[in-house]
Amino acid sequence: MNAFKQVGLLYRFGFKKEWLKLSFWLLGCLGFVFVGVFAYTTIYAAPSDREAMAVAMSNPAMEALFGNMIGANDYTVGAMYSHTMTIMTLSLVAISSILLIIRNTRVEEENGRIELLQALPVGRLAHTASAVSHLLSYTLVLGCLSTLLLIVFGDASMSLEGAVLSGSLYSMSSLFFGSLALLLAQLTSSSRSATATSFSLLGVFYVLRIIGDASASFLTFLSPLGLLYHAEAFVTNRWWPVVILLLISLVLLYIAFYLQTKRDLGSGLLPARSGNNHASSILLNPYGFVLRLMKTPLIIWTVSMMILALTYGSVMGDVESLIAGNEVIEQIIVGESTNKIIAEFLTIIIAVLSIATVIPAVQVMIKLVSEEKQDRLQYQISGTRSRAHILTVFMAVSIGSLLVIQVVQLATFAIVAGSVQDFITIKEIFLSGIVYLPAMSIFVGIAALLYGWKPKLISVIWMILSYNFFILYFGNLFDMPEWLKFLSPFYLTPDYLGGESVFLPLIIMAISAISFIVIGIIGFKKRDLMQG
Amino acid sequence: MTIVKIEGVSKSFGKAEALKAVTFKMEKGEVLGFIGPNGAGKSTTIRILLGMIKADSGSVSIFGKDVWSDAVEIHKQVAYVPGDVSLWPNLTGGEVIDLFLSLRDQAVDHEKKATLIEAFDFDPTKKCRSYSKGNRQKVALIAAFAAEADLYIFDEPTSGLDPLQEKVFQKQVERVKKEGASVLLSSHILSEVEKLCDTIAIIRNGEIVEAGQLHQLRYLKRSEISIESTDHLAFLEKNDWIHGFIHMSGSNQYKFQISSNKMTTLIATLQGLNIQSLDSQPQKLEDLFMRHYEKGVGES
Repeated sequence: MNAFKQVGLLYRFGFKKEWLKLSFWLLGCLGFVFVGVFAYTTIYAAPSDREAMAVAMSNPAMEALFGNMIGANDYTVGAMYSHTMTIMTLSLVAISSILLIIRNTRVEEENGRIELLQALPVGRLAHTASAVSHLLSYTLVLGCLSTLLLIVFGDASMSLEGAVLSGSLYSMSSLFFGSLALLLAQLTSSSRSATATSFSLLGVFYVLRIIGDASASFLTFLSPLGLLYHAEAFVTNRWWPVVILLLISLVLLYIAFYLQTKRDLGSGLLPARSGNNHASSILLNPYGFVLRLMKTPLIIWTVSMMILALTYGSVMGDVESLIAGNEVIEQIIVGESTNKIIAEFLTIIIAVLSIATVIPAVQVMIKLVSEEKQDRLQYQISGTRSRAHILTVFMAVSIGSLLVIQVVQLATFAIVAGSVQDFITIKEIFLSGIVYLPAMSIFVGIAALLYGWKPKLISVIWMILSYNFFILYFGNLFDMPEWLKFLSPFYLTPDYLGGESVFLPLIIMAISAISFIVIGIIGFKKRDLMQG
Repeated sequence: MTIVKIEGVSKSFGKAEALKAVTFKMEKGEVLGFIGPNGAGKSTTIRILLGMIKADSGSVSIFGKDVWSDAVEIHKQVAYVPGDVSLWPNLTGGEVIDLFLSLRDQAVDHEKKATLIEAFDFDPTKKCRSYSKGNRQKVALIAAFAAEADLYIFDEPTSGLDPLQEKVFQKQVERVKKEGASVLLSSHILSEVEKLCDTIAIIRNGEIVEAGQLHQLRYLKRSEISIESTDHLAFLEKNDWIHGFIHMSGSNQYKFQISSNKMTTLIATLQGLNIQSLDSQPQKLEDLFMRHYEKGVGES
């Protein structure tokens, strides 16, 4: 057992480094469980509400998102919870344990910390064993506490067995994906590619389950997510998926430990792919360069927003039944006729989708700040591109991504939402979203303004965005002074479906967005570059 | 023709005064060693030269143009290598070299690039994430030398290179100098500066404390004399042109410094004495540098 010498010491030492992050993730996952169980027991206490929800949930888009309908003939709170919360919680837990393992293995190696420890009388496998111990602790605490939450806050339909099973499902997801990440950490050439490969596999498992649920059900069982979902806690309470995955996880762990003894520190068993000796013409193009920097987040955002638009769009046909009886939502939407209710509901959803689309666009501007902070902007400044040009390129990509994501998600949303109800046409829905573009550009303008004058304060843009979200979401719920609402470009955007005239306000907003940008450029041309 | 002209440049960051009336210039074809302790203001001066930060007062010009307002025009003919080369982790070294060249509006000369990559013994197909400090510097150096420029600005470019690649760097500097380019070399490696530079500027606490032609500076300074003699030479100490006199205890060795123009006086004084050996070393840049580095020392 020499290979494991000093595991205990490393575990305690690692805990000091880890406890804050682990608590954060634990709180996040448990918070998710809590919100689910609490919301369902309070909002959907009445069987009729749940029946309406069950109908709303029985369409391909929702089943793709959450999993196949379970317990449809008796849609209890427990069944509803298992149906809608399981896949999401499993994925969230999986993300946390993948990050935990990579952080404690390959990242440590790359920082040179393991090298320091390896020089001391510490076993060869001790560090990996310590990382696995952290995973096991996290897994155990997560399972127990979520079981406890479900017992305490669940209603009569949520049995003790179901609660324990749910907790075990979450633990299994944590253990399985943690073990998988550990195995991949042995193979890949860097911590980054270990993380990327783990997440890609998680994505593959997610999609596998969707395809399996829709057509070939054996594919569902090839996906750990689908397998665990099949346990159907609070409905059929099957335990065998947990047992199977536990055995697989143990095998993965064993292989990972074996491979660990076979590889050199700091490198994986699979050789690093060698890259290009020459830059593509895309990279050498100023716009292509920024797009290359932002490629991954922009693709992820576009796809996520499309999925969100698809989901929201598909429930539009059942809006009436959804709203009936839900006091909170009724209060937000003050209307009478079905036509009007649907129009207002559409307006709110489109506003939310639009506000979310501002996030990736702002991230492009934040990237510019981080380029500067990490001393990489100096290569552009000391080159032949002027400051105005550099800032304009980033802004163009930012506004371009606004445009593309907004059009893509609106098209998705409009086609789906337009075809499930007969009151409002696809074109009307699409245009009602397009009118948000000037308001959205204002945020890019503000980001440019902050960047030009006070780049260290760039994160203020997130506060401004949160404020707008707050006004949008709760503007009708609480009594709020009008001037507070008037500070929000989203509030000022005319209600196209409500028949308000659009031209003047939109032109004013577009002009202010442009002015912010111009002032930002003036500031950037005058100021010193930050040093990292 | 004056390539770089810095006159009375001051720069403060908040309350900290980074540069105080810095003045020096560089002529065409000159290699200037810009030396000084850490935090003396070398990088600040270079950042001003490249239009990254703006001087509070004074005037700075390259090729006779203002470094702040004509930055784009100037940069067409300037190659720059920073001291700490920070790169994009997910691009390869080869990609970044091409990118750096395109940022200067230069087409990639593949043959030249390949020659330099081989000379610096560099693998351009790896992601920058995996490069060491030295390898990251090579990326910037290869990009700098792979295209023509009238002025090269290097900020401690060889701090991560091994001695073999330092030689490659020196060769490249000699090449561009031969082609008529000017080089501003900020460095800690004094032997390198001595080898490559015609002029130097020493900066300390934001002030230029010494500037001029290297050989002239050395001429003005002292020579290190060491003498072995069976005669008693302690009387030499009394002369006011002899500095730092030491009689190595229990031996016939004497060490002291004289101004180089006092050599004749020294030889006349030693006339008729029994001298076994006399060694005279011109003072090295390092000695000069140390005088400015260590406050108060060297004043005697």
